[in-house]
Amino acid sequence: MAGKLGWIDRRRLVQLLGAGGGAIAAGLPSRVFAQTRKNTLVLGIDISDTITLDPARLAQYTSPMTVSAAYDSLVTMKPGEYINLAPSLATKWARTPDGKGWRFTLREGVKFSTGNVMTAEDVKWSFDRVINLGDQPSQYIAHVDRVEIVDKSTIDIILKEPAEPLLTIIAAPEFVVLERKVAEANGASAAKDAKTADKAAQWINSNSCGTGAYRIAAWERNQQIQLVRNDHYWGGKPPYERIVIRHISDGAAQLLAVRRGDIDAAFNLIPEQIAALKSEPSVRLAPLASLDFVYMALTQEPEFNKALAVKEARQAIGYAIDYDGIVKSMLGGAALRPAHFLPIGVSGSTEEIARQIAFKQDLAKAKELLATAGFKDGFEFEIAYGNAAVQGVTYQDLGLKIQSDVARVGIKVNLRPVDQVNLRTEYTTGKSKGGVLTFWNPPAVENQLWAAAVVQRVAKRVHWNPPEDIVKLVSQAATEPDPKKQAELWVEWQKRVVDQANHFILFQPVYQIAVRNTIKEFPLTAAGWMLDLHGVTPTG
Amino acid sequence: MSRYILSRLVLAVVMALLATLVIFLLANTVPGDPVLAQLGDLAASNKEFVAEWRAKWGLDLPLWQRYVIFLQQLLHGDLGISISSQRPVLQDIRDFAPATLELASIAFLLSLVVGIPLGIMAAMRRDSWIDHLARLISLIGVSSPTFWLAFIMLALFYGGLQIAPGPGRIDAIALPPTSVTGLYLIDSALGGDWDTFRDAAAHLVLPSIVLAAATLGLITRTTRASMLESMQQDYVRVARAKGIRERRIVIGHILPNALIPVVTLGGLAYANLLTGAVLTETIFSWPGLGRYTFRSAVTLDFPAIMGITLIVAVVYLFINLLIDISYALLDPRVVR
Amino acid sequence: MSIASAPALSARAVAPVASKTRRWLRRYGLPALGALVILAWIIVALSAPALSPYNPATVDVTARLRPPSFLHWLGTDVLGRDVFTRLVHGTRVSLTTGIVVVLVGAIIGTLVGGIAAYVRGRLEELIMRLTDLVLCFPPIILAMAIAAALGIGTTNTIIAMLIVWWPKFARLARSLVLVQRSQEYVEAAVVMGLSPTRILLRHILPNSIGPLIVLVTLDVGNAIITFAGLSFLGLGVIPPTPEWGSMVSEGRELIEQWWVATFPGAAILTVVLGFNFLGDGIRDWLDPRSRRR
Repeated sequence: MAGKLGWIDRRRLVQLLGAGGGAIAAGLPSRVFAQTRKNTLVLGIDISDTITLDPARLAQYTSPMTVSAAYDSLVTMKPGEYINLAPSLATKWARTPDGKGWRFTLREGVKFSTGNVMTAEDVKWSFDRVINLGDQPSQYIAHVDRVEIVDKSTIDIILKEPAEPLLTIIAAPEFVVLERKVAEANGASAAKDAKTADKAAQWINSNSCGTGAYRIAAWERNQQIQLVRNDHYWGGKPPYERIVIRHISDGAAQLLAVRRGDIDAAFNLIPEQIAALKSEPSVRLAPLASLDFVYMALTQEPEFNKALAVKEARQAIGYAIDYDGIVKSMLGGAALRPAHFLPIGVSGSTEEIARQIAFKQDLAKAKELLATAGFKDGFEFEIAYGNAAVQGVTYQDLGLKIQSDVARVGIKVNLRPVDQVNLRTEYTTGKSKGGVLTFWNPPAVENQLWAAAVVQRVAKRVHWNPPEDIVKLVSQAATEPDPKKQAELWVEWQKRVVDQANHFILFQPVYQIAVRNTIKEFPLTAAGWMLDLHGVTPTG
Repeated sequence: MSRYILSRLVLAVVMALLATLVIFLLANTVPGDPVLAQLGDLAASNKEFVAEWRAKWGLDLPLWQRYVIFLQQLLHGDLGISISSQRPVLQDIRDFAPATLELASIAFLLSLVVGIPLGIMAAMRRDSWIDHLARLISLIGVSSPTFWLAFIMLALFYGGLQIAPGPGRIDAIALPPTSVTGLYLIDSALGGDWDTFRDAAAHLVLPSIVLAAATLGLITRTTRASMLESMQQDYVRVARAKGIRERRIVIGHILPNALIPVVTLGGLAYANLLTGAVLTETIFSWPGLGRYTFRSAVTLDFPAIMGITLIVAVVYLFINLLIDISYALLDPRVVR
Repeated sequence: MSIASAPALSARAVAPVASKTRRWLRRYGLPALGALVILAWIIVALSAPALSPYNPATVDVTARLRPPSFLHWLGTDVLGRDVFTRLVHGTRVSLTTGIVVVLVGAIIGTLVGGIAAYVRGRLEELIMRLTDLVLCFPPIILAMAIAAALGIGTTNTIIAMLIVWWPKFARLARSLVLVQRSQEYVEAAVVMGLSPTRILLRHILPNSIGPLIVLVTLDVGNAIITFAGLSFLGLGVIPPTPEWGSMVSEGRELIEQWWVATFPGAAILTVVLGFNFLGDGIRDWLDPRSRRR
């Protein structure tokens, strides 16, 4: 270790000089690279947040895309369909006979990238590892009691709380199947003491042992991730020999590269750069409707702000904000706006429903509510935000926009820029004294996960003590078997929390990905891993 | 002499450690919790989980104990694990430092190569057009806000005229040369990969001009002033009276003396270039220490902050030490 | 001597007005220009509301990123605010912060440095090592740590800057006082039994004030750039207060909409250039060795 950390890597120097300079096999020089382009898919994206490719340790924004290409989960979600699940490594699933868990029938003949056949043992081991490693993903399946092998092609996942959702959660790339033998040979452990015993982090960051369409071949931090085709893939021969995920932090550089054809897709363009691409015939824009939220949370702790403690005063803010101006002008229309923390596209949340029940700008009503609240002449509150941007729009600009909007009904906003760490600490520990502008990127597509959070931890942060019936509504909606009734219950729930006026969803981003026309299928998904890499196909 | 150097060395070590202690204490007055900023929404709300993660970075220990651990690790050449990148701080720094070193060195060279001759000419032809030009260039150089100059350069030569490459160290899609030193120019030359060499060199042009602007002004002014002072020394008059040719007087007598302050100032300027490239790096998407520093500071990444502070302090003190030693060698009175 | 100067005299007699002006310009041209630029900006700062047709904080997202036109002389920014109006109002922050930081930094630094040089011994050593310590910090980390600890805002940024600002004045003041201290008049004063404070304030300081003034003038520009830089990184003013550094920051990704970042940056350049022209002139004027012929 110590030898490698020196500034000059001596081993490499010796290698290089010894090899006579010209032969650099490992580095794949740029010009050679250009010639192998045809069978290679190159994505340009800011992956500076990728700090691990270990499924059981995932917590970042961009890493799930890579992991989902190399590994498969038992069930999955097809792009655009976020209510019903699709089979993946499991072909069938149903409640266990005793009703305490779920029983999965495993797909026959699935092989890992090594060519070995996947077994029920691998599945159980993979889940055990997530649980025993105790990293962030384990939090989402904290209600899983144990995983049991029924026979060689059947497993049971037994829950502590049988009514709580499981399937939508384990569709995420955190809960995938690893080849036990290979993983263990490289230091992985799923035992009770996995927290200390598992030494696979380093290996698993630049290799993979899954059943996915591609296999991780290399990861050079802040440079690129390389994937190569898995010839044993169960879903047919993957179309590309190689996938390169290039780290390009700068939007302007991504724009140039996608124009020149150096990359096949650019992920981090700001609205002004996207506008510049509209006249480019070789590039099209693909919308990636995320399930993310950009929102403002308002505390109702009277000690912090007497006015905000009054519901009508908070509602007045809700009616004063010009949401259309934010979505249409500032984002160029590239966003949706749900009524509350149920993104457009899931059960009980459509654009139509949102139009009916969400706040919309109505200054007269805002003034009326202010009078009812006893603040006819307005009041003052602060909005805290960090130094960051979503879709090229900074929180600061959003804060300024809200500040000028609510000023029209006499409410004064004091903006407070805060560094990310303090902001997050204040917010998660319920110490925010007014409003907070922030972001929520749910890790799995599951209404119950978000709705339960809203009445539990998210409510605590704004000092709201939700009445019993609202809390009950969440579990009622989550366990309702009839889809139509379920949707109605979710609508009802949204009406209640909108009325409560602690959270104002400003927008749900629809990221605009620039894709070259050399790509035919580019199945972007909102389900948390951005892109179904195995489904990307070239034209012709 | 060696005793003098030794005592200065000891002092430098003490100062560097003191710097880390001050930053450590200061950063700990920040109320935020770096672990919360790293965790997802659900995990951040789970008290046990947060406590466990705090323990992972030793954040649960008393202050003094944490600092002692930092010192112990330091003795073993270890700067600990970064909270945000979750890998050794030294490895992070090894990844980011070469980009800054390369950029700062090229910028420094540029300011020397242009600044010193310009300063000499300005002093020799005092009050001529070249003196005025030199004055104007150097004043504009020190008066330009780097972040703005960087923007203008990019907007003009990359966005507008399209004759310069965009942000980054090499073409967005090209792969960096096989890493030996981490300096792309040297690595690509070693590997004989001249395409990459040209690419890397082209990408260095705009940012190094931007970074060099202020230093160039400083070097030019100092060279001029110091030349003027040397020219008035008695030995120069004597040489002139002896009828020695002007060119020889300048090269043989004036320059060596005049350049001493330039060396001092240059050393300090180089230290500043190494540590002060945050703004230039931000605009040019330069994956260097400046941006790493910035990111570590915003995420309150204690181990990274301590590591960078230490390294910056060491670089600064080392350069200062070199300057002092060279002074001592030139002027033995200093030692007393 | 007289032979050599005769032609010059006659030349002066021939074209007295033109050469006089030229000589004045050569000697005082740049500093005068600098003073003029600063004066102009001060006037702009004082009369900002009268100069600008809009309110600097008025947001109108339907009019965002308009190029310069008759309606919006310097265009509009991402929130549809008038760039000219914000630029004019931004003068106040930049000028005052720059001047405040340098003046306060100079006063603190001079006092500390002066005391160090006068007292000598342990205290001097301590103070000088303290200046070393401050100088060897990565300035960004220091500024950000202070901002994070105290909160982001103009006052706190000024405090952060002051912490790194005083040492250079302390060092200069110390070296100046050391020179003066060995002068005969000071020794005479000491012999006469005058109090140290009196000697320092009444005798030594006035005699070393020249180089300090030069450094102060040259440094205001430096402070303005530094504040704008911190503001660019998000550590400066609290919005919606208009400030040049943050205005450049808002436009840094907008290469096509160049006007958003270009004009406020140009404003910084001119005002800093003004202070540097002036300071450079004062230096020449005070320093007999580099005085022009």
